[in-house]
Amino acid sequence: MSGGKILYPVWLGVLGVALLAGAVAGIYIFVQGHVLFNANDVLIWTLPLAVYIFLALSSSGLTLLSALPLVFGVKKYEPLAKRLVFLAIATLCGGFVAIGLELGTVFNMIYIMLSPNLSSPIWWMGAIYSAELAVLIVKFWKMHTGDFHSGFSRFLGTASFVLALIAPLMIGSVFGLTESRATYFGPVMSIYCLLMAVLSGTALFLLYDMVGGRLSAGAAADAAGRSVQDDFTRILTYTAGIVAAFTVLKTLIESATTIPAFLVYHKFEHLFGAVGNFGTEVIFGLFLPFVLLVIPSVRASARGRMLAAALIFAGSLARHTEILLAGQSHPVGPKAEQFPQYVRYLPSGWELMVLVFALAVMLTLYTLGERYLKLTEAPKA
Amino acid sequence: MPRYAMVIDLQRCVGCGACSIACRNENNVQEGVYWSNKITETVGTFPNVRYHYIPTLCNHCGAAPCVRGCPTKAMHKLENGLTMHDPKKCIGCKYCEFNCPYGVIYFNWEKPHKFWRSEEAVIPGATSSPKELVEKVGAQGTPYVNTERTGTSATLRPKGIVEKCTFCDHRLARKQLPYCVEACPANARIFGDISDPKSEVSVLLGKFHPFRLREELGTDPHVFYIRGYNPARYRATKGGV
Repeated sequence: MSGGKILYPVWLGVLGVALLAGAVAGIYIFVQGHVLFNANDVLIWTLPLAVYIFLALSSSGLTLLSALPLVFGVKKYEPLAKRLVFLAIATLCGGFVAIGLELGTVFNMIYIMLSPNLSSPIWWMGAIYSAELAVLIVKFWKMHTGDFHSGFSRFLGTASFVLALIAPLMIGSVFGLTESRATYFGPVMSIYCLLMAVLSGTALFLLYDMVGGRLSAGAAADAAGRSVQDDFTRILTYTAGIVAAFTVLKTLIESATTIPAFLVYHKFEHLFGAVGNFGTEVIFGLFLPFVLLVIPSVRASARGRMLAAALIFAGSLARHTEILLAGQSHPVGPKAEQFPQYVRYLPSGWELMVLVFALAVMLTLYTLGERYLKLTEAPKA
Repeated sequence: MPRYAMVIDLQRCVGCGACSIACRNENNVQEGVYWSNKITETVGTFPNVRYHYIPTLCNHCGAAPCVRGCPTKAMHKLENGLTMHDPKKCIGCKYCEFNCPYGVIYFNWEKPHKFWRSEEAVIPGATSSPKELVEKVGAQGTPYVNTERTGTSATLRPKGIVEKCTFCDHRLARKQLPYCVEACPANARIFGDISDPKSEVSVLLGKFHPFRLREELGTDPHVFYIRGYNPARYRATKGGV
């Protein structure tokens, strides 16, 4: 406990510094513009958007997990429901920080409401995630006041579940509905985003549960807690397996096709390096943790689970970044006159600050919520 | 209501770039941004090599991906077929630029006309700074700013939003041709109402075999290309084995 007493203020101090630095960076980005990013008219969207995709999808994954007790009535998970909903809110807030700093003129966002374009996947993405945040906040408030099972509370649980199912599809459609960029694989991208939502959301929850449990109790979880961790580790293993199979299939298609857009795509220089056609982030952020989770002894050990979850969580951000960049790595049409045949990318310090700010907001909310909002409350029997 | 379109005669076009310079002057386009541009295609194997120009601009597509994807309707269609952009509604999400198959939309990454904002003298002790010159002529942004651009779009587009060709809508409103068409010394650009079968563009499209860029995407571009510039001759032959 004494270790925890020392760690807590240090942790708050780290978060405070990160929030302050992020806020200063955010103001500077608004004043100076996106010239501070290593983006250009070929690489239009870079790390800040990848951070948004990653956190928004993770939030959807957490919401989908919360549906197990709240929609499907799995009693065993009811003590987790409030925490899952709160983590989903906090993670989405981090995502909104990243998308806010990615937009050129955030103050004009009012036009999204005043002048909606119902044919735009970006509009639907924004609208559904805004609705998801609002529903999650009301749902959390209902649970916080002890109302888990009223009709309205159940409706909110179902609504958040449906929204969390649709929202990743909308993120995928932003890319998949772009006719001119075949390398995003059309509608398949939406399915990928939904799978990634479950994967990164489950990894995040397991990480949080294990790290938070160690810090607060300083001891191993009780039998009920271990059983829940076992179940969520199985969900993580299944999902990692499905995403790995999906990724192998996608890579094989990319390698075999003769569609010109893919021939150019092959020349993409991986941000994190590659072995053959597989990026390092796929090998160490997906294949390796899947193999680890398949081994019973590793899956049963707390350290093994934590390592696998951490690799998957970090690997998810890296994979979103790579997929986002790879589809934009070559100039379109006359832009080839101004830019090299293949555009390289390394994030600028300002872009990294967007990542730091988004994560700091998310982690600060986690920390404060855990301390003041009684996240382990369950409905009275 | 007319439906405007442009025909570019590649046999007449010599790639002089007058269209791009005229566009830049008329629309106060800053460096690094191209409303009017070109694709250079190199063909053949050395020593039998040549290159071709394809002038490019916004295609004012009938089914414009930029319009469909814009979340705020900042990018929108007019009844006369023009694809227009409202800077006041643009949130700078850049989806139109991402979505455009033709690479003709640009984002203003910073405050425009950086050179003309410089306070450093071009030749220290001898000349004024670019900023002083702009102030001295009482202009906005650049000393040669065209204030006639104002009205249907911003004179200078601010940072954080996108911009693109408008077929010089401000000139069309005054019954004038787009300035790239006006400036072309070879009359390679022919502009008009494609819904009128007697217009020059309709006559040309019926006379030649036109093509459009990336037609397979179904975006219905309204910039058509006819013929090709190639003065090369070759001896009649059946090839050989």
